[in-house]
Amino acid sequence: MCGIIGYVGREDALPILRDGLSNLEYRGYDSAGVALGGGTLDVYKKEGKLSALTEILPERSTATMGIGHTRWSTHGEPTDVNAHPHTNESGDVAVVHNGIIENYATLRDELEARGHEFTSDTDTEVVPHLVEEELEPERDLVDVVSSVVDRLEGNYALGVVVAGRDGIVATRRGNPLVLGFADHGTFLASDVPAFVEHTRRVSYPEEGDVIHITEDGATVYVDGEEVSRAVQEVDWDAEAAEKGGYEHYMLKEIHEQPTALRQAISGRVDEMKGEVELEIDLPKEYLNSLEEVQFIACGTSYHAGLYAAKLFEEHADVRTSVEVASEYEFDGGRDPWRTLVVAVTQSGETADTLSALKRAKRAGARTLAVTNTLGSTVTRLVDDTVFIRAGPEIGVAATKTFCSQVATLTLVAVHVGRQRGTMSTADAQELLSDVRGLPGAVQQVLDNEEQVRLAAEEYADGDAFFFIGRGLGAPVALEGALKLKEISYDHAEGFPAGELKHGPLALVTSETPVLAILTEGARASETLNNVKEVESRGAPVLGAASETVDAEKFVDEVFRVSEVGELEPLVANVYFQLFSYHVANLKGRAIDKPRNLAKSVTVE
Amino acid sequence: MKAVVLAAGEGTRLRPLTRTRPKPMIPIGNQPLLEHVLEAAREAGIDEFVFVVGYKRERIQSYFGDGDDWDVDIEYAVQKTQLGTGHALLQAESQVEGEFIALNGDRIVEPSAISAVMNERQSTGESIIAVTRHAHPENYGVVDLKGRTVRSIEEKPPAYTVQTDYINAGVYGLHDSIFEDLRSAEAEGELGITTALRERRDGLRAVPFDGLWLDVSHLWDVLAVNGRMLDRLDPSDSSTAAVHERATVVEQTSLGSDVRIRPGATVLPGTSLGDNVEIGSNTVVANAVVLPDARIGDGAVVRDCIVGENASIGPNATVEGGETNVVVDSDVYEQVRLGGVVGDNGSLGGGVTLSPGTVLGNQTTVESGCHVSGRIEHDAVVRRG
Repeated sequence: MCGIIGYVGREDALPILRDGLSNLEYRGYDSAGVALGGGTLDVYKKEGKLSALTEILPERSTATMGIGHTRWSTHGEPTDVNAHPHTNESGDVAVVHNGIIENYATLRDELEARGHEFTSDTDTEVVPHLVEEELEPERDLVDVVSSVVDRLEGNYALGVVVAGRDGIVATRRGNPLVLGFADHGTFLASDVPAFVEHTRRVSYPEEGDVIHITEDGATVYVDGEEVSRAVQEVDWDAEAAEKGGYEHYMLKEIHEQPTALRQAISGRVDEMKGEVELEIDLPKEYLNSLEEVQFIACGTSYHAGLYAAKLFEEHADVRTSVEVASEYEFDGGRDPWRTLVVAVTQSGETADTLSALKRAKRAGARTLAVTNTLGSTVTRLVDDTVFIRAGPEIGVAATKTFCSQVATLTLVAVHVGRQRGTMSTADAQELLSDVRGLPGAVQQVLDNEEQVRLAAEEYADGDAFFFIGRGLGAPVALEGALKLKEISYDHAEGFPAGELKHGPLALVTSETPVLAILTEGARASETLNNVKEVESRGAPVLGAASETVDAEKFVDEVFRVSEVGELEPLVANVYFQLFSYHVANLKGRAIDKPRNLAKSVTVE
Repeated sequence: MKAVVLAAGEGTRLRPLTRTRPKPMIPIGNQPLLEHVLEAAREAGIDEFVFVVGYKRERIQSYFGDGDDWDVDIEYAVQKTQLGTGHALLQAESQVEGEFIALNGDRIVEPSAISAVMNERQSTGESIIAVTRHAHPENYGVVDLKGRTVRSIEEKPPAYTVQTDYINAGVYGLHDSIFEDLRSAEAEGELGITTALRERRDGLRAVPFDGLWLDVSHLWDVLAVNGRMLDRLDPSDSSTAAVHERATVVEQTSLGSDVRIRPGATVLPGTSLGDNVEIGSNTVVANAVVLPDARIGDGAVVRDCIVGENASIGPNATVEGGETNVVVDSDVYEQVRLGGVVGDNGSLGGGVTLSPGTVLGNQTTVESGCHVSGRIEHDAVVRRG
């Protein structure tokens, strides 16, 4: 939820930190700040977007070292004083922090009792004061920070600078941190895009590592002992993170779906044999002994889990459960040896999902991650990982990653079904051929964008929007509503269509457009009955329908979905993405950075 | 030097292909025309581009992004309505400074033509236009030369008036002062670059070249130009293409990523198969451009044919291929090689046959066993009568 960056080198730090923060702005954007180092520290911080900070920054500075932060509030309002970096009273120690220090209240009371004065409402501010207390002229800063973090409880990635000391000291527990090695200096950051214009040589510190970052590189310590960490090349382009002619990242990413899908399935599918080749090691005996597959995820990934669970039950003939990660407990008398826990997370850093995963591991269950991010924390926690290969997603509202998550999970379902002997070659061939058909079917939706844009113009003023679907259409109804509310701020809800008459129907009026999924895999003929219910109450109906469904009679606006069997609801969802985008765009919303939301939520 | 590439046009004569993509995105050897232009310019030493986009611009933007995959920088300028090349160039005004190159985004041109224009521009400081000889100059901008100086450029004049075979090759070396001229020449209706160039006081010099220059005006040109480019290009089959050991794929073909070719299939010269295309068992595919995600069923014969994106051709369907007369907008084109065109998302049932020259619109379905000829609009269903 926050982004941190640090640089020590031979070039001017100010422009490097400023550009780095702008690349990290997707992680949070209610305030930002930098501290420029050297003999003294100069701290600048400001509430608001990064542009507000840029206005108060000096034209230039000769400092060649500094730290920066872009914040998304947890403790304390977004204000100038609550913005990072935080300092001690004298301003000799400055700290940037991503995460939550759970015992900060106790630490703060102790520090105040010893005469320290606090200026902000944040948890972070305890750190510079603790550092100050440990600081002695002869004592190494690595040693100081190591003793300070021993007293912290919670999750953090920290960067610490002290006036007159060489370099930056950083450490992490539970929050992401990556080091970058450029020709002209060394970086630390929450994520690679912060510095990828300077270098692609990176290393990922382990939990609890304390790192001394200097002009010439980084030295990593564990319990005071020097250790070495592998340096690797990343091939993700942060520049690919630029909008490429689109007004918003979200629209760009919606249009990237055919390519993303082709990447997700590339080299993994053999329809002739009805088999799937994934880079995972789940022994056949283990899969045959499975009693349950549990999906844990949040937000859009949770909806992908719901979709996948239905496919697993049908094709792999295994009981499934799907849990919102923040509600997850490993209980109910499950046998950990016969339970596979699948974590679905785009970023691989979602704090709720990581902590649920740790609970599953503690209970002894085998774990599998489905993620988009190489080297992310989740990949280091689980037994196996399947990558969705969607490429970077910058828009806060997840679009292409949902599509790629479902496509990839479908492949996993086929793999498990085949290994368990519950899916015939012919059934596998059919489903895999539908997966192959996805890129083309999605492109066809994109080619119909103008129809969706016009529909958005017509219905954007609705009082509320309801999304309904059955079967595989039910998770898509939830996802459709989530997308619309995230970016348009309109009231939107999704239900399994059969639930309408058990309550929500009371909300339906002529001013509440209803969006229905009327495709294969979504029991369209039954849902058409629900469409009739809302239509008779005067609600306008928009439906994404298979070619074979005769929808025109009750549906005001029919979006056509081409034939891809059980994956048709996934294709229907692309219409809803476009609808949400155009509604939000008409209303002038900050589509890529909706209020109060951050891309990867790294706090619980 | 920066290059401004004009890629906003629709290319109506290439319908149905251009119903869903702009002309610069027509694939030749599995690469859009625009990518050939970009690569030629890059070879000539250009690494900064402004693409002027308009019609169906999402297709271009999604494919090229910010240019990273080509190691160049691409910015975009949007031309909202297509009012000619001069108007298109004006849209890039804020993105260029000083000298620059302007290029048509839908003509394949050799790198040497571009570098010749760049050199001539730098050594003379005059406005430069590349010219090449063509057998049918009357279809293009005919350039009348006196030595190297351009006396006049006439757009598509009547054939009997044409005294020269030099045509405007669509590569210009310009200075940002052209924008002022373009604005003052901004006439009613369409505004061509050449209209403004004619008015320039500082002279307009021609750079003639003999090399490769290919235009795709009509659907059958897609096949011919594709064939010519496949002869020239190095074989660049994707490593993720899966060719069954009992299938035959000759050289002078191009396979995109994740193409699957089933047992007994034969893929003959002049054929490009786009990403994720499936070629069924015992099929014969010859001199064909098959766009991404299309599927060709077992036993089908597909010759001299363009198969649209995500189209499906049923088992034992036959596109026999060959030459025929084709009528486009009341002009008759005699003896052109075009077996047929199946639009995007089109579907041919089992055993369907297409007469040479048949053009099926997008999303058009032909039910099993039908014999089809002529031009059929999009979203149609052809049933056995």
